[in-house]
Amino acid sequence: MSMQVKERSMPNGVILELTGDLTYANREQFKTAVESVRQRGFRYLVLDMSNVRFIDSSGLGLLALVAQQFKLTQGKLSLLKPQAYVREIMALANIPSLIPMYENEQDAVAAYAKAA
Amino acid sequence: MKSSCPQADATDRVGAVEEIAAQEPPTVLIVDDDPVARLAMAARVKRMGYRVLEAGDGQSGLETLRRERPDLTILDWMMPGLDGPSFCEQVRGDPDIGSSQILMMTSNDHPEQIAEGLARGADDFLSKAASRQEIIARIQAGIRTASLIRRLEQVTDQLRRKQGILDQELRAAARYVESLLPSAGMVVSGVELAHLYRPSLALGGDLYNVFRCGDQCLGMYLLDASGHGVASALRSASLASFLREDNLLRYVGSHDPGAILTEVNRLFPMTGAGEYFTIVMAQLDLRSQKVRYATAGHSGVCVHRRTGDLQWLAPPTLPLGFDSDCVYRSVETPFLPGDRLYLFSDGIYEVPNSKDELWGKERFAAALCRAADRTLSGALSTVVAEASQWSGRDGFPDDVAVVGIELKA
Repeated sequence: MSMQVKERSMPNGVILELTGDLTYANREQFKTAVESVRQRGFRYLVLDMSNVRFIDSSGLGLLALVAQQFKLTQGKLSLLKPQAYVREIMALANIPSLIPMYENEQDAVAAYAKAA
Repeated sequence: MKSSCPQADATDRVGAVEEIAAQEPPTVLIVDDDPVARLAMAARVKRMGYRVLEAGDGQSGLETLRRERPDLTILDWMMPGLDGPSFCEQVRGDPDIGSSQILMMTSNDHPEQIAEGLARGADDFLSKAASRQEIIARIQAGIRTASLIRRLEQVTDQLRRKQGILDQELRAAARYVESLLPSAGMVVSGVELAHLYRPSLALGGDLYNVFRCGDQCLGMYLLDASGHGVASALRSASLASFLREDNLLRYVGSHDPGAILTEVNRLFPMTGAGEYFTIVMAQLDLRSQKVRYATAGHSGVCVHRRTGDLQWLAPPTLPLGFDSDCVYRSVETPFLPGDRLYLFSDGIYEVPNSKDELWGKERFAAALCRAADRTLSGALSTVVAEASQWSGRDGFPDDVAVVGIELKA
């Protein structure tokens, strides 16, 4: 299944709504969308995962890579509302220790408001 | 002035020959038993600048076509012996000449007859009553198609040759990777090793090894490079080279699985494309009958106890390269005679069936338990066969590697 990416703005950063699978097959699309956010100088990125059905090992790698990239520029990545199955896969790879996760958008946005 | 360099002269001549060959006009074969019609058509085609071959009947026309491989054959329908449609059928039935372009001529241009001719193998039709312009246009169209088909055949041949070379290289590389795998059987007295390796492509990103460290210890690991194919296999092979026993002592100074993973994590960062490894590293101490292990994002490790319990040994940990400061810690668990330790890649249980439902760790564990009475290698074969049956296909979508270690009772 392919992936759609929709962008919304928030104070200090951007929310990317992902729909579909975060997998090897869709990696270029995901990287392009994130790169465009970074190019425009945004330091805070929230990935809305509520419509992501599946994530594979490549998808986990991409999340870690983006987290590293934002950390290098004193920015931050966080995840919003991952589905149960995706959450389970991320938990096995201990992703929550690396990337904060939020259950609602207000909390995610508020965390950045404090950081900024 | 004569060239002072004979070699350059020879090269020039070869170049000139190629140029002439490239400029050689297309060849048109005319097959017609009526000499007057044949001569008239031959003269017309020659005037168009093409090389012309002639045949007075179907059989000799077929022989000329096989020998000369003309670009276009203009064929009369009605001929004694082998007629036009039968000629076409013979051409289409022969893979060597099956792609020849055939323009069939007929004095009878009923739609049913045209349909029959096309069905039996002609590419196009020309009425004997056609105007000069139409004849020229149809011949040119036939030549154009023929040159496209020739080009397609050449490119296909080139691709096949290149693919053949690539396949050969991949097979050689796959043989090398398989030569890195350990030999099954009794690795040390009282410890049996069995393993199964099914890469999804010729080359896989999973690798494992089992090695002695000291008299009473056995080290082992199973690693899984993210991604597939050649790039993953190269990255796996480079990590496997680092994980040689002598290297570990030199660079890590310890056999402790956690210490090794902490160092490997520092030395093998994530690639710019987000590629990384997951790994389980374990050490079996035969004196204390314990397994010390550490994992990095790898959940494929369990102990099947002699008592029948199946215990997962995979606490959530970060894969290698996710955080350069990560410290990996070893955990210890008893490993008693009759116990079996399994290391495996996620490719064995993340197998989708036709409804896209994954086989999953629970079914995998249940299959392992059902196979408890079998020999160790028998248990591995059974589990892999069950996963394969679930998928309903021959191969696995991801690399599959399973290693089993049993302490003999």
